[in-house]
Amino acid sequence: MKQTSSIGIMDFIRPHKGGFLCSVVLSVLGVASGIVPYFAVAKMINLLIVGEQDFSIYLLWCSVALVAFIMKSVFHGFSTKASHEATFAVLSEIRRRIASKLTKVSMGYLTDTPSGKLKSSMVERVEQMEVPLAHIIPEMTSNLLVPVAVIIYLFVLDWRMALVSLITIPIGILCYMAQMKEYPKKYGAVVQAGKHMSATTVEYINGIEVIKAFNQSAVSYGKFTQAVHKNAELILDWMKSTQGYSALMMTIWPAVLIGVLPIGCIFYMNGSLTTAAFITIMILSLGIVGPLVFAIFLTDDFSKISTIVGEISSILSEPDLDRPLQHKNLNGLDITLTDVKFAYKDTQVLKGINLKIKQGTTTALVGPSGSGKSTIAKLIASYWDIDEGTITIGGVDIKKIPADQVMDLIGYVSQDNFLFNVSVRENIRMGNPNASDQEVEEIAKAAGCHEFIMGLEHGYETLVGGAGSHLSGGERQRIAIARAMMKNAPVVILDEATSYTDPENEAVIQDAVNRLTKGKTLIVIAHRLSTIIQSEQIAVVENGKIAATGTHEELLKNCPLYTDMWKAHIQAKDSAGMKGGAENV
Amino acid sequence: MFNAYKRFFAFAGKQKKTWYKGMGYELLRSIFEAIQFIALLVVLRALVEQNVTGETALAALGVMLVSVTGAAVFWYLAHNSEGQANYHMCEEKRIRIGERMKYMPMGYFNSQSLGSLTAAATSTMEDLESMSFAVIARTMVGIIRTVVFSIAILFFDWRIGLIFLLGVLLFLFVNSQLLKKSRQLSPGRLQAQTKLVDSVLEYIQGMSVVRAFHGDKAANQTLNKTIEETEYQNFKLERKRIPYNVLEQIVLRIAAVAAVLLSIWLYLSGAMTLFTCLMMAISAFLVYSELESAGEMFFMLPMIDASIDRVEQIDHAPRMDEQGTKQETKNRDITFEHVSFSYGEREIIHDVSFSIPEGTTTAIVGPSGSGKTTLTSLMARFWDVDSGTVKLGGTDIREYQLDSLMANFSMVFQTVYLFNDTIENNIKFGKPGATHEEVVAVAKAARCHDFISALPDGYDTVIGEGGATISGGERQRLSIARAMLKDSPIIILDEATANVDPENEAELQEAIEALTHNKTIIMIAHRLKTVQHADQILVLEAGRIIQRGRHEDLIKQDGIYADFVQSRKKAESWSIAGEGALGVGV
Repeated sequence: MKQTSSIGIMDFIRPHKGGFLCSVVLSVLGVASGIVPYFAVAKMINLLIVGEQDFSIYLLWCSVALVAFIMKSVFHGFSTKASHEATFAVLSEIRRRIASKLTKVSMGYLTDTPSGKLKSSMVERVEQMEVPLAHIIPEMTSNLLVPVAVIIYLFVLDWRMALVSLITIPIGILCYMAQMKEYPKKYGAVVQAGKHMSATTVEYINGIEVIKAFNQSAVSYGKFTQAVHKNAELILDWMKSTQGYSALMMTIWPAVLIGVLPIGCIFYMNGSLTTAAFITIMILSLGIVGPLVFAIFLTDDFSKISTIVGEISSILSEPDLDRPLQHKNLNGLDITLTDVKFAYKDTQVLKGINLKIKQGTTTALVGPSGSGKSTIAKLIASYWDIDEGTITIGGVDIKKIPADQVMDLIGYVSQDNFLFNVSVRENIRMGNPNASDQEVEEIAKAAGCHEFIMGLEHGYETLVGGAGSHLSGGERQRIAIARAMMKNAPVVILDEATSYTDPENEAVIQDAVNRLTKGKTLIVIAHRLSTIIQSEQIAVVENGKIAATGTHEELLKNCPLYTDMWKAHIQAKDSAGMKGGAENV
Repeated sequence: MFNAYKRFFAFAGKQKKTWYKGMGYELLRSIFEAIQFIALLVVLRALVEQNVTGETALAALGVMLVSVTGAAVFWYLAHNSEGQANYHMCEEKRIRIGERMKYMPMGYFNSQSLGSLTAAATSTMEDLESMSFAVIARTMVGIIRTVVFSIAILFFDWRIGLIFLLGVLLFLFVNSQLLKKSRQLSPGRLQAQTKLVDSVLEYIQGMSVVRAFHGDKAANQTLNKTIEETEYQNFKLERKRIPYNVLEQIVLRIAAVAAVLLSIWLYLSGAMTLFTCLMMAISAFLVYSELESAGEMFFMLPMIDASIDRVEQIDHAPRMDEQGTKQETKNRDITFEHVSFSYGEREIIHDVSFSIPEGTTTAIVGPSGSGKTTLTSLMARFWDVDSGTVKLGGTDIREYQLDSLMANFSMVFQTVYLFNDTIENNIKFGKPGATHEEVVAVAKAARCHDFISALPDGYDTVIGEGGATISGGERQRLSIARAMLKDSPIIILDEATANVDPENEAELQEAIEALTHNKTIIMIAHRLKTVQHADQILVLEAGRIIQRGRHEDLIKQDGIYADFVQSRKKAESWSIAGEGALGVGV
């Protein structure tokens, strides 16, 4: 595996550097044209002062200035266009890279990372790069180069006056430094308050049902309003502390005439500065500082871009699931776990699991919640790589079996029945893209879907709608089961798949599951013990270890934990619910 | 463009005045900044008259000092007001969203509406907060300053002043065309954007499924197409915008050059002094600088407009009328009289009547989509009925004060929302004044105490994002403890909720029993035992009650109920490895 420790913005820019280069060249051309009018005006002022009366000369210079201006604007426009084109290509590039990365990372990473977070990195955060990235090149070039060119010209005209015209820069920088000294003091609190407000808002809105149901709107609303008030108050307070310096800085910087006029008068009086040069310098000095200041503020964009790139590179540096590509010959489909250890985040979830699952048998994993039974199933399905020990299928370490091959072997049905926004038919066909329409319908019948599908507006052609919103939970579950049946994988994992998502249809779902699992190697995470007592093997998982394995009868004899669970289960079935109201009152 | 400003200031509400004040200071700042022009004139005149003295230098310095000082003071004041206006405006809007939500019917809340409310209250408001300060101030100031400057020039020479003003008008005209164009194109862009969000979400959420079925390459290709479409739309908008931007700049330049040329011509023909002519040439350089640098910002006006749209949309959400004042109830009998209710166009409940005497247990059964949840929502006034009445203690529930009505009900929700707070505070949510002992007592009754005690900080453990994680069943029991502490006389419960964490089924059952002891219970029932013991069973189909009575009576009739009982029996005795579904039932 290639070690991609850190990915910088240049990695994305490089393939599109032609566009950016083009933008820079055009921008420089624009800047060059933009300087011409300054000379034209200076020239005309000279002519006026020496008493030139021929209007056509002025007309000529004005035309030169105008053409140069137009050229400047046009070059600048093309430069902006080129940089936007390149920028949008870069943004697409980044999105494509994330998308393709997501096909390679471990499934565990995908299930762990909230989809909203990945989406926001891929859509909004990338989008936020557009403005800084597209504007930084043309704007930075022109805002830096124009003043520099003008300053050089000023030095050519009169070096003393050139220095004088720069006098406000150091004064402004002093203010800037003073402001920067104040800046971080309160800024931390502002950021904190902003985050707190955002979190409180999310909590208030998402908890509103609970808040209203518990009559707590006053209290929660109070907490929310306080956070909002605090946010505004702190920002304003912070602004106040820096604003004095900002005001000085922003007004002193452009006020170059404060030095240029009086000192120019002195030089003029002692005869070392001509009228024409003085007037030219007056005009030119006005155009220096504004753009320079703007360029300084543009540097903000660099930090914005690098923050976002950092976020993206953390996704892109996620390790790939390390699997070979070459198809492996397996010796049967027995699954063996030997001393499997696995830590999830900082918690040691599995502490040495040993388990043999014979081909064609049913193995149930039972145990208290948090014991690690679901993790075992996910590791068999290669959601994550294990830390220690081995998992073999047909005698071959799953790390040596291509990911595609493992996926072909295993049908994983969980409570999360994600359906795509395509027709019902295509959702089922996803299990086997080569299936005919008729095969799809046969499977649907077997999975108990056919009837309700026919009741949908367009039958099998009905669009499932965003994440299947038009279908009930139970209907979605049955379609997901049909999809898994279509795949016809020899190993089926049922991860709490038959929980009560739709109690009305539970019996139908159960029938479908029985058909799906017939003759397969079945690994089932059981929620109700009564459903798995006929399994060939029941593994009791406790605290990351297998406490016991055996049949129902064997475990009742040998495993106290299993016996307790069984008793609790039976008790729940018996006590079941409410006593009649009459007995209460 | 002016509409955009108008809309913005209307949106600003109470802060409108402060915004205006800020703009007023900006105007004064512009004037003081323009005063430096006087210094320039003083020197220029002296130069032309060849009469430069020490006094000239001093006068220039003095004027400049006045200009800088005044400009700094008003810069400060202007930013102060704009800051106040901006942040207070956003503060008020956020609070308004929160306030408005209090009056939305409970039934309005679902993951979609909550998602868009959250987006509006957080990211849209953040956009507005950061954008409007810069955009509104800079663009308006750009216009104000240029106009002020041009008017000042009018006093020296009206012809040149008019040319300058004409330049501004042309600029604004091109700009308004640009805005029009971008409004035309932005829906396409927005659409591409929305589609991108949808596809990216589907891609991410479906990735595990896609991969299990080898669909990753195809899915990747589909997504790539969407990514390219977004790129195309974005670039298209940008491409159309650039010529207008170029034109904007050119228009200003033409006006400036025309002013210079006219001044020179007037001077040469003797209608203008050299001094004025030079002054005009210089002012042509200065007059548009602010407009030009604000040029980019103008393009962001439509974005502000769109953000305002999104925030104002919240006002279109349904609103509960809260005229009710009644606080006390005579008793807790619930009566539905000819109640009909529809979501939008679709009628869900058709002419339903029944009554639930205080202290009894009512089980609601029926196929999914038959209206069971809606029926319970109407009792607690999550929605208002379209026709008929829902009564509590003989009084229409609309006559109660909403808070007093709510105090009668506890609901165990399908999805449990816990706050990012300590366990103790989450339970206390049911009754903020509760003592620690009371909290522990309900936690014990709801079978939470053991797992809470096992957590690192016990009752002080923070749960939720960034805090400790607890299992689904534990969450459910916490929510039951919370409801228990509220101790309201009527409990509405969806039994499916109680079955999500089957390992702890017995504990959950015990918790529910403790919660429902001695209460009026209305439950969407799935367990045979529950239904068998109910005082009253309401069988719902397609929004109508088609059977009602006790188990013993209903079981004898053919119909939905008998089918329900059959299918429950089968399901509850199912065994996974068993060939026949009716295997070893226990």
